[in-house]
Amino acid sequence: MDSFQFLGLTFNTANIISITIAFAIVFFVVFFLSRRITMKPTGGQNILEWIIDFTNGIVRGQLPGRDGGQLGLFAFTAFLFVFFANQLGLFLQVSVNGVDYVRSPTANPVVTLTMAMVTLALAHYLGVVKFGFGGYISNSYLKPFAALLPINLVEEFTNLLTLALRLYGNIFAGETLLKLIGGMAFSHGLPTIIVALPLEIVWQGFSVFIGAIQAYVFVTLSTVYISRKVTVEE
Amino acid sequence: MFSPLVLAAEKGFDYGDMLFYMVAFVLLMWLVKVFAWKPVTKMMNDRATKIANDIDSAEKSRSDAESLASQRRDALANSHQEASTIVADAKDAGNQQRDKIINQAQSDAQKLRENATSDIEQQRQDALVSARKDVADLSIEIASKIIHKQLNADDQKALIDSYIEGLGKDDQTR
Repeated sequence: MDSFQFLGLTFNTANIISITIAFAIVFFVVFFLSRRITMKPTGGQNILEWIIDFTNGIVRGQLPGRDGGQLGLFAFTAFLFVFFANQLGLFLQVSVNGVDYVRSPTANPVVTLTMAMVTLALAHYLGVVKFGFGGYISNSYLKPFAALLPINLVEEFTNLLTLALRLYGNIFAGETLLKLIGGMAFSHGLPTIIVALPLEIVWQGFSVFIGAIQAYVFVTLSTVYISRKVTVEE
Repeated sequence: MFSPLVLAAEKGFDYGDMLFYMVAFVLLMWLVKVFAWKPVTKMMNDRATKIANDIDSAEKSRSDAESLASQRRDALANSHQEASTIVADAKDAGNQQRDKIINQAQSDAQKLRENATSDIEQQRQDALVSARKDVADLSIEIASKIIHKQLNADDQKALIDSYIEGLGKDDQTR
């Protein structure tokens, strides 16, 4: 079953299962790392605080001062989700009769487009909250001068597409190559397995690196787009 | 498999996935906030406050210790000064006492010597007077025995005195 209908909406089975698994992983990792919170941090708390410091650093880099304070949680959750979603497909891919059930949720353009849309919707919302609707319009679309309105409008769409498709392209390409190497391994028996196994391992290691980098890039660009909506352009 | 966009276009866009993602993301964000974000960031802030307080109190106790040390140093210097004043005072008092005692002793000795001198003079005078008297009496007795002549004592005495004075004059002239 590739997809199913529910309440008149089409659901992709692989996406639903993968997203659920990735969210569950994020929640349980965070949950178990945060069980013993003490003044002197130990073990899991150190890891958690390191990640929080890391994402807070990304946010502060773009939004110094009070504006950045409320975005820390968003950046933290998005970073962890993108990171674990990227890694999920590297070690767990379930496919039955040619139909995917579990893979990286970020290897699907609909998911990454949704993530980018959530981010940019948050950016526009925060812009309106900060400047009011008129201020938001003039700050986002009529600066530095009104003639740039068409370019600014186009930029909003390119922001959405680049944010989504960069992530999708990286992860999808990584998974495709993994599948190709896997297919090659089982094509001619033992000799190809011996050749393909090191290649697969090397590519998986590189994909872990790519996945981490893409998570960082996604969160950084998200905060950049948000900061451009909530700060006055000179 | 290689063209999900084309696949999606053929079968219709998966709007359900988008809704699912958004709901799930908001839910996850809330769960993360409740279970991890709030307690951890609160603890991080508490720790930052505690460290700042510790630094402040350390600074304060350091300055306290410094002022205490300078107080002690002043007190020590004062006590040195006090001690030397006390010693100097004691020396002065001792000197005065010594001078007084010496003076006292000198004056006592002087007085004793004067007393002794006057006593000696007195005794000499007394001895002289009594010797003179004895000589006179003796002379009278001797004279009365020698000349057997009954003179009255006063005439006799006057006679002896003039004689003795005559002797003295003779001594002087000689």
